[in-house]
Amino acid sequence: MQLFPRALNKLGLAVAVGSNAALVVVVCLFWYYGSPKNLQVGYAPLQPVPYSHRLHAGDLGIDCRYCHANIERSAHAMIPATQTCMGCHSIVKTDSAKLEPVRDSWKTGAPIEWTKVHKLPEHAYFNHSAHLAAGVGCVTCHGRIDKMEVVRLDKPISMGWCLECHRDPSPNLRPKDQITNMNWTPDMAPAGWQPPKVNPPTNCSGCHR
Amino acid sequence: MSKREPFQFEEPKASGAQVFWKSLEEKNAVDAELTSRNKAKEAEFPLGVAKIDEGAVFAPSAPAAKKAMPGEMSDKISRRGFVKFGTAVTALFGLEACARRPLEKLVPYTRSPEYVIPGISNHYASVTNRGGEAVGLLIETHEGRPTKIEGNPEHPASRGGTDGVVQATIFDVYDPDRSTGPRKNNNDAKADQLYAEFGALLAASDKDGGATLRFLAPRSNSPSFVRLRKNVTDRFPNTRFHVYDATSNDNAIEGARIALGQPMHALVDYARARTIIALDSDFLQTEPGMIRASRSFADGRRLRAPTDTMSRLYVVEPSYTTTGANADHRLRLPARDVERYVRLLAKEVAALGIDLGPIAASLGNLPADGIPENWLKSVAKELVDNRGRAVVVAGRRQPARVHALAHALNAALGAVGQIVSYGSVVDPVGYTNNNGAFEVDAAASLSALVADMDGTKVQTLVILGGNPVYDAPADLKFADKLAKVKTTLHLSEHIDETSSVTSWHLNRTHELEAWGDQRSMDGTWAIQQPTIAPLYDGVSDIELLAFIASKAADGKAPRPKGIDIVKETLFELSSPQTATTWNQFAGQIDGDHAFSKQWRAALQRGLVVGSAPFSFTPGEARGKEIADALSKGAPAGKALGADNVEVTFAACPKMVDGREGNNPWLLELPDPMTKIVWDNAALVSPKTAGDLGLVAGDMIELSKNGAAIQVAVWVQPGQADNSVAVTLGWGRKKAGRYGNEKGFDVYPLRTSDSSGFADGVALRKTGASYTFAQTQEHQSMEGRPIAIDATLEEYRKTPEFAQFRTPRPKTLPLWNRQNYSTGHQWAMTIDLATCTGCNTCVIACQSENNTPSVGKEQVAKGREMLWMRIDRYFVGTDEADPKVAVQPVTCQQCEEAPCENVCPVNATAHSPEGLNDMAYNRCIGTRYCANNCPYKVRRFNYLEFQGGPVGSSVDTMYGDLPETTKMVFNPNVTVRMRGVMEKCTYCVQRIEEAKIGSLRSGKPLKDGAVVTACQQACPAGAIVFGDLNEPGSRVAEHKRRDRGYDLLADLGTHPRTTYLGKVRNPNKEMG
Repeated sequence: MQLFPRALNKLGLAVAVGSNAALVVVVCLFWYYGSPKNLQVGYAPLQPVPYSHRLHAGDLGIDCRYCHANIERSAHAMIPATQTCMGCHSIVKTDSAKLEPVRDSWKTGAPIEWTKVHKLPEHAYFNHSAHLAAGVGCVTCHGRIDKMEVVRLDKPISMGWCLECHRDPSPNLRPKDQITNMNWTPDMAPAGWQPPKVNPPTNCSGCHR
Repeated sequence: MSKREPFQFEEPKASGAQVFWKSLEEKNAVDAELTSRNKAKEAEFPLGVAKIDEGAVFAPSAPAAKKAMPGEMSDKISRRGFVKFGTAVTALFGLEACARRPLEKLVPYTRSPEYVIPGISNHYASVTNRGGEAVGLLIETHEGRPTKIEGNPEHPASRGGTDGVVQATIFDVYDPDRSTGPRKNNNDAKADQLYAEFGALLAASDKDGGATLRFLAPRSNSPSFVRLRKNVTDRFPNTRFHVYDATSNDNAIEGARIALGQPMHALVDYARARTIIALDSDFLQTEPGMIRASRSFADGRRLRAPTDTMSRLYVVEPSYTTTGANADHRLRLPARDVERYVRLLAKEVAALGIDLGPIAASLGNLPADGIPENWLKSVAKELVDNRGRAVVVAGRRQPARVHALAHALNAALGAVGQIVSYGSVVDPVGYTNNNGAFEVDAAASLSALVADMDGTKVQTLVILGGNPVYDAPADLKFADKLAKVKTTLHLSEHIDETSSVTSWHLNRTHELEAWGDQRSMDGTWAIQQPTIAPLYDGVSDIELLAFIASKAADGKAPRPKGIDIVKETLFELSSPQTATTWNQFAGQIDGDHAFSKQWRAALQRGLVVGSAPFSFTPGEARGKEIADALSKGAPAGKALGADNVEVTFAACPKMVDGREGNNPWLLELPDPMTKIVWDNAALVSPKTAGDLGLVAGDMIELSKNGAAIQVAVWVQPGQADNSVAVTLGWGRKKAGRYGNEKGFDVYPLRTSDSSGFADGVALRKTGASYTFAQTQEHQSMEGRPIAIDATLEEYRKTPEFAQFRTPRPKTLPLWNRQNYSTGHQWAMTIDLATCTGCNTCVIACQSENNTPSVGKEQVAKGREMLWMRIDRYFVGTDEADPKVAVQPVTCQQCEEAPCENVCPVNATAHSPEGLNDMAYNRCIGTRYCANNCPYKVRRFNYLEFQGGPVGSSVDTMYGDLPETTKMVFNPNVTVRMRGVMEKCTYCVQRIEEAKIGSLRSGKPLKDGAVVTACQQACPAGAIVFGDLNEPGSRVAEHKRRDRGYDLLADLGTHPRTTYLGKVRNPNKEMG
C-alpha cells in the first residue's frame, strides 16, 4: 500500500532548496538591517537640556571650538562644562525656562548628564586631535551638526566605515583653517592646494590597544 | 611529495658552554637516564605546575581544605550547574538582542579645573620614602586620578628609575581595604569628636609637661617631621619620642657613628669601583638606595666594546639575593660567619701592608673554617691592588661593628673621598649630641618604651605609622604591654594588627594624597605633592604632629594643613637667619616673592635647587672606637649543624616589612630568586634538606627559647648549609582581603638581639606539607640556549660569543619577508650584563597595561597574567652552589611571528612598524597562538580576572572589582575580558601617543620620544627601545653591538627584541 502520494517525492528537494534560500534571505536581512548603518544612524536621544546646535553653530555661527575647546589638543572632544554655557547665559536669556537645568547645575555644582550619541566601543581609541591635525573636517564624521536641532548620529561609525577613509583619506581632507566650516566643499580649496600626504594606520594597533 | 629533513638544532652544550637549569627537579631530571623531564614534556603540565589535589593546603591556617579567596571561582561546578548556567546565559543573550544599546551618560565638569584637559595626562613631581632613602617621583594623573608612578629623572636617588615596590604603591591608594575613617574602641567615630577628645587629653598633659605621654614612630626622612617633633617636645618637655622600624637601617647608621663619630649614611659610587665586596648586603634589591645603586652598579659594567673594563663583585651571603645573583664570585656563608670572614679579610689586608692602626690588634684569632683560602688571600690582594677603587659594603642585618670595620677598611684602602661619600641622617633620633659627639640614646628605643609601659609611666601612647603589634621584636611582648596603656592612638592606612587593639585609630592619608617633604641620603630635599584629594579624608603624620604641637588643639580650631607645614619648613631652610616667623611672613608674600619662586621651582622640578649635597667631610676613621667595638663583640657560638641551625631574617623584596601586605600585585610578583608567589618560605640548602630529610613543601617548626614558628620548606640552591632563610612581612592577620593569611609570619621568632639572624635554633619536621605556587618552571624553554653568558676574557677573545651559540637558520624562510626599510621600525634591546633581575619592569608593565593578579590557585595552574617574566637560571653543575643568570622575557615581536600564522580569525597580525598587534575583540580564545609561540609570552584570560563588563556582576577572583580599584586602570589600555589572549604590545599606547603628538606639532619623532614602561622603570637602564630606521638611535646602536643575539635565532622568527649577552668578570686566581 502506498501511504504517501508520489508528489511527496519532491518534498525533500523543495525543503533543501527552500531552507537554503530562507537562510540566504535571513542572512541578507541581518546583513543590511543589522548593520550599524541601519541600526545606529539616526539615533537622536533627547538631551536633558534642549540645546540646539542649529541655533548656536548654524544661525549664530559660533565656532565649534568655542565650546569643544581642547579638541585640537586632546583625544576627547569634550562636552563643555556648565561654566562654558554660563559664560554667555549669565547675560543672555537669563530667565529662559529651557536653561533651568543649566542654572541649577551652576548653582548646585552637580554636572549635567548628557546622553552619549557617538559611541565607540571601549577597545577603540579614537583621537580627535590626530584627525584635526591631519585635516579631517568636523562635518566628515558628524554630518551637518549646524542644521540639527537635536544631535543625531549621521554616520555609522563602524570599523568598516572608519577603514574606508583610512585606506584613502585624501577625499576627506581639507585645509586646516576650514576644519570647522560646515559648508566647505573641495572646489572651495585655494588654487593649487593639494591634500596633505597623511599615512593613517590600517593595522590593529592604530586604533585598538 | 618530497620529504624535507627536519631542521637540526645545534647542540647547545658546545665547548665551554654552561649548563643552565631552573630548578632542582629539572636538573635531576636532566641527569637521570630516563628523564622525568621527558615525561613532563608528555604530560600536559610542565614541571613546577603543581598538581592540585582536592585537599591541597593553600592557607596555613586551614590544614584540611583549601581556603578559597572571597568570591574565588571554584573548580567544582557540577554538570547540573553547568547546564543551568548555560541555559541561563543563552536565554539572556536572546533577551539582550531585543534591547536597544545601553544608554550611556556623558558627564562634563561644572566648573573646569585648571590644567585638567580630559584625555591628557598630567605629571606631578613628588617623593617617597623607601626604607630610609627618599626617591623622587613623577606621578601620572588622568583627570585627577593617579594611575602610574615613574621616577623623576632630575632626582639623584632616582634618575628616572624606580623599584618594584614603588611601582606597586599606586595600587595602595585604591586598596579597597583601606581604613575609611577614625575609630574609637574599634567602632567608627566622628573625626571632630575624636580630635576634641584628643585635644582635651593633650591639654591635660600640659600640667606635667607630658610626662606620661609618649610617641612611637619609624625613623623619618622628613624635615617637617623633625621640625614639628621639636615643637611637640617644646610643648611637652617631659615627653619622649621612640623610634622603631622592623627593617631599619640602624646598624649601618650606628656603624658609621662608631667609625666616624656621627650617625651617617654611606653612599657608594659603584660606577667607579673596580672591586666591590658585599658582606651580606643586598644593595641591588632590599637595602635602601637600591635604585641609585642599581644605576651606578650597571654603569660600572656597561660594555660597549671588548676593550671596556668592568667592575668585579664579590658577595658573601647566606642566601641567594639579587645582589648574589649578580656576583662574579659568591661565597655562601651563614650570616653569623660573615663577621668572621671580614675580620679574617681585614687581617689579610693588614698583612699586605695596609695600616689599620689599633684595629689590627682587635680582630681576634678566628678559625677560617668554611672559608676557602683564596677568598682571603686573593680577595685581599685584589682590594689592595685596587686601592682607591675598591670598596667593602656591609648589609644592614650585620651588627654595627661589621659596618664600622667596613668603614675602616674603606678608609684604609683610600675609597673614602674617591668612591665612598657620606650623607647626614635627617632624623638622628636615638642619638644625643654632646658637643659634636653623638652618643647612643638607648632611652629612645622601643625596648625603653616597652619597659615603661607598666600601667603608670605611660598613660598615652601615640603611634605615628608602623605596625608594632605585628612587627615588634617578640621578646618585648609589645601587644601585652600595649593593653596596659590607658589611651593608645594609632595613625595608619589600614585597620591593621595595631589599629585593631589601640583605643583610637586615625586613618592616615596615602603619600599620594598628602603634602610632605623628604630628604635623600645625599641631602636632596624634595616636596611630596598630593595628586588626588584624600579618598577617605584622613590626616598625615606631620599634620597630626602639628595638631599635637599647637596649643589651640581643642578640636575646634582649624586643624593644621600639610601645605602650610611643608612651606614653613622650606622657608626656615631658605632663610634661617631672618627674624620673621613664617606666620608673619606668609601674609606678606605674593607670587613674585623670591620664596614663592623657590617654592614653585621645587614643585616643578621635584627637588629644592641647591639642597644637596650635605656639606661636610668625615674625619679620619676612629681606630680606637672601632677596635673597642670589635673586641667587645667577638663572634662565637656553637658550630652550626642539623640540631643548631641559623635563621636569617630578610626584608622581603615585595612585602618589605609587611607594609605592602595587601597589595595583590606584589603578592603575586614572583620572588626574584625562588619564583614563589603568594607565599614566603623557609629556604634550606640541598645538603641541609638531605641531612634533615626535608623536601620542598614540608612544614617545619623553628624554635628557640620557647618561641616557635611553623614555615614550609623550599630547597634553594646556593643557600648556605645549616642556615635557614626567611623573609619578613608575611602571614598578616589584618592586612585585608588579599593579604590575610598569606605566607608565614616569622616575627614571633625574631627578638631584639636577633633582628638580623638567630643561631641556636632547633628545626623539627612537623609532618604536615604545604603546596607552593611558583612560576619557576612555567614557560620553560626545554634546555635550549636562552640566557647566554661568557667571562670577560672569553668576550675579549670572541666578542660575538652569543651569536655563535644561536646560529641563524640554514633553511630558507617559507615566504618572502616583508620590507621593513621605511617608516618607524620599533625594536628593543635588553642588556643582560646590566640587568640585575630586580623585578621592577614586571610591576611597571602590570601598572601600565592593566594586567590582573589572578591568585595563588590560578598561578599554580600556570595561568599567571604578567606580560613580563624574569627567567632565573641556575648555572653550573654544582647544585649546592651554582651561579645565576637572569633574563627578562616578554613578547619578542617577531618579524616572522609564529603566532600570527595559526590564528584562525586574524586577531593577531603584523603592523607595518614591526609590531605584533593583538586585537582583543577579534580573539575567540582558541589559544593556538600561545601554543605556537616558542617564547611562551602569550597570556590567556581563563577567567574574568578584572570584573565583568561595566555594570555586570561577574565573579572575579576577588569578587566584584571594587569601584576604587577600577581607578588604578590606565585609561589608554583596554581592560581585557575572559576568553581573550593578550601579551606585551611594546606599550603601543605610548607609541601612538607620541606619533599623534608629532603629527600635531609637525615635528618628527625624536629618539627617546617613545619610552616603554619597563624601560622607563628599569633602575639599571638595561632596556633600550626605539626606532631602528632612525639613524643614530640608541636602539640601532645597541643592535649593532657584538654581544647581541636573538632568542632562539635558529627558529628564524627574527625577533625585534634582542639581547646583549651577559658577561661575568671572574678573578682567575679564585680558580
